[in-house]
Amino acid sequence: MKIIASYNIKGGVGKTSTAVNLAFLAASHQHNTLVWDLDPQGASSYYFRVKPKVKGGGKKLISGRRELDGVIKATDFEYLDLLPADFSFRNLDLALDANKKPTQRLKRLLKPLADEYDYVFLDCPPNISLLSEAVFEASEVLLSPIIPTTLSLRTLEQLKKYIKDKQLSHLQLMPFFSMVDNRKKMHKEMMQTVVEKHPEILAASIPYASDIEKMGLERMPLGAFMQKGRSLLAYQSLWTELMEKME
Amino acid sequence: MTEPPLYFELPGSLKGKKFFSKIEKKLLLQITGQHYAIKTFYDTFDWRLYRAGVVAEHIHSKDVSQFNLINRKTGRLLASDSLETAPNFAQQFSSQALKSILLPIMEMRALLQVSHLPLEIYRANILNKDEKTVLRLQLDDYESLSGRIHLLPLRGYGKSLNKVAAVLQSDLSVKPASCSVLPEALQLQGREVKDYSSKFSLKLKPDMRADQAAKLIFKTLLADIKLNEANTITDVDTEFLHDFRVAVRRTRSGLNQIRGALPETAVKKYSEFFAWLGQITSLTRDLDVYLLSYQDYRGVLPIAMQDDLEPLYAFLKEKQIKAQKNLAERLVSAKYQKGLIEWEEFLNKQVSKKAKANQGNLSIKALADQRIWKVYCKLMSEGGVIDDQSPPESLHDLRKTCKKLRYLLEFFQSLYDETEMKTLIKALKGLQTVLGDFQDYEVQENNIKTFSQEMMENHVGGNAILAMGVLIQHLDAKKRDAREHFSDQFAGFANQDIKRIFEKLFFRKKV
Ligand SMILES: Nc1ncnc2c1ncn2[C@@H]1O[C@H](COP(=O)(O)OP(=O)(O)OP(=O)(O)O)[C@@H](O)[C@H]1O
Ligand SMILES: [Mg+2]
Repeated sequence: MKIIASYNIKGGVGKTSTAVNLAFLAASHQHNTLVWDLDPQGASSYYFRVKPKVKGGGKKLISGRRELDGVIKATDFEYLDLLPADFSFRNLDLALDANKKPTQRLKRLLKPLADEYDYVFLDCPPNISLLSEAVFEASEVLLSPIIPTTLSLRTLEQLKKYIKDKQLSHLQLMPFFSMVDNRKKMHKEMMQTVVEKHPEILAASIPYASDIEKMGLERMPLGAFMQKGRSLLAYQSLWTELMEKME
Repeated sequence: MTEPPLYFELPGSLKGKKFFSKIEKKLLLQITGQHYAIKTFYDTFDWRLYRAGVVAEHIHSKDVSQFNLINRKTGRLLASDSLETAPNFAQQFSSQALKSILLPIMEMRALLQVSHLPLEIYRANILNKDEKTVLRLQLDDYESLSGRIHLLPLRGYGKSLNKVAAVLQSDLSVKPASCSVLPEALQLQGREVKDYSSKFSLKLKPDMRADQAAKLIFKTLLADIKLNEANTITDVDTEFLHDFRVAVRRTRSGLNQIRGALPETAVKKYSEFFAWLGQITSLTRDLDVYLLSYQDYRGVLPIAMQDDLEPLYAFLKEKQIKAQKNLAERLVSAKYQKGLIEWEEFLNKQVSKKAKANQGNLSIKALADQRIWKVYCKLMSEGGVIDDQSPPESLHDLRKTCKKLRYLLEFFQSLYDETEMKTLIKALKGLQTVLGDFQDYEVQENNIKTFSQEMMENHVGGNAILAMGVLIQHLDAKKRDAREHFSDQFAGFANQDIKRIFEKLFFRKKV
């Protein structure tokens, strides 16, 4: 079981879109896949039309009094399941903190699912918190969407420093460009200079595209309502590169 | 809470589209697929899969062709593979998952088509108000049987399953059903599952006249002969010939054992006929056994020598093909057909008011008591004098006596207490196994010696002969093993508990 976090300190950069579409691709290759919607906003639950509700809320789930296994919902797609969000997830930091070794918590909770799933995608809320620390501890890969702007560059540097300081050596950071607008000269230039400084940035990038926005209307992953297109291809190359780079 | 049923049977009048238009009034539904298909059920001739709780079905449609193994009780899919046609034997399946389930169950038996059903398969999703799928549903709309619904629950949507199961039963008067339509499909052909078994089974009434009962026993055996005949001729698998021969042997033994009940001329005539049948079928069976044992033969050799044995396989296979061809010709010959028809006519003839033969007027129970007791005593005295020095022939004779007793116990099983009879048969079986092994290993050892001589004359390479030498040594060791186990096995059979049951069931004081 490989655990992949879709994470960035910043909001609205494409974390959820990435988790949902890559999970859909994994499942379409017949890998048993789970998306865990850790964001109280419940965006990925929304895309799969699953009610953002967990009986007993985040507290019971994190404490282990309610097992993840009993909360999982099948999506409309074969091989793809979802652990829905709950509004109480806004207090996940508190729930974590109530346990011993809070940063090891997610890892421990996911362990019993190891035989059942090949891939677990963690759709994370933005910001650095106890939850994100627990996510980093649990994950093998940190996929981080980056909009090619000066500001995002700073957050990437922040993130790298954080990983170094916390000595999270098991974690493979895989940043990639998201919402890339090819018409913007600024984006192109930024991407070139940034890649020189940060060679770990993936070659695959996700373009800014109205198809991706349309997911909100369709309430499905891209591949479920489109057969082909630039955006779909972009997610496919992201998936392929992720598979190649993953240790 | 109890789990709701997942399989339902539609009322006969509720066909495909009509079902959906009815259910659409109650539930939000989306039909996702519809296609025509043919479902073919498979099993071995003796229903090994069904008896093991497995249903094998092949679904053939324009786009897919799939072979599935299903748990008969739960409907769970055990293994599946897309296959254009199903192969005949378990080891011919390329899917490991299928093979590993089928091989231990089927062993050497061939997979036969049991029934074909044309049907229309509909797939549908039940949706909630967010148009999220909460349950999947399949309707198998058979042309000649009532439709079947299969609910496929989705994880985390147990409530929806309960709700739909309730709606089906209350609003559509659909009834829970078993997961496979195999029994109903067979009914259409006037057949039923497990309609063949190689075990002898016949219910006799104790006071039935002996000559009448004898004819019933022979009729049962004749039915087995006829059931196995066609597939013996075409060599579908080795066990048709095996069962054919067992029925012939039982008939011969019966003719000999209960001869007093039937007219002497008839007994003489048909004994000769069945002796001939036994004789013309024996070579093919022997070669079948060698070929079936071939993998075991390889296994006893050091790995480096195993491939050296291949010429033996080729040699045996060639002989088997010839022998089988001969046998097939004999089984369509006039002699065979005439003999069998006359036998059948003889069995069908009403017995006369007063039996012609001297024991024919006895009740079958009285005759059975007499015969079984006599053969049991014979077995005990033959076996009792065998010690470690006794020649092999004495064990071979005892083996024959055991077989006689075994057939008698099986013929007359229904006349006695079931559990006591089972105990006796089980005890006898242990003894028979040891004696059978002793004889088989000896015969195999001798025959492989003969084969190796023949092969040498055909200039087969020295390595094969060497490998066969190792094999002969192994068979000889096994033979001696069996010989050593004999006295223990016989003691197990000769014990007081078994003796008391024999006495209680069969011994009658002369009046
Ligand atoms: N490549 C893209 N092109 C166009 N729109 C996009 C793209 N990726 C995401 N969006 C849109 O941007 C919005 C934010 O995307 P998304 O929810 O994936 O980001 P996020 O990082 O998960 O946000 P949050 O921090 O709120 O969880 C959504 O409305 C989404 O449809
Ligand atoms: Mg999000």
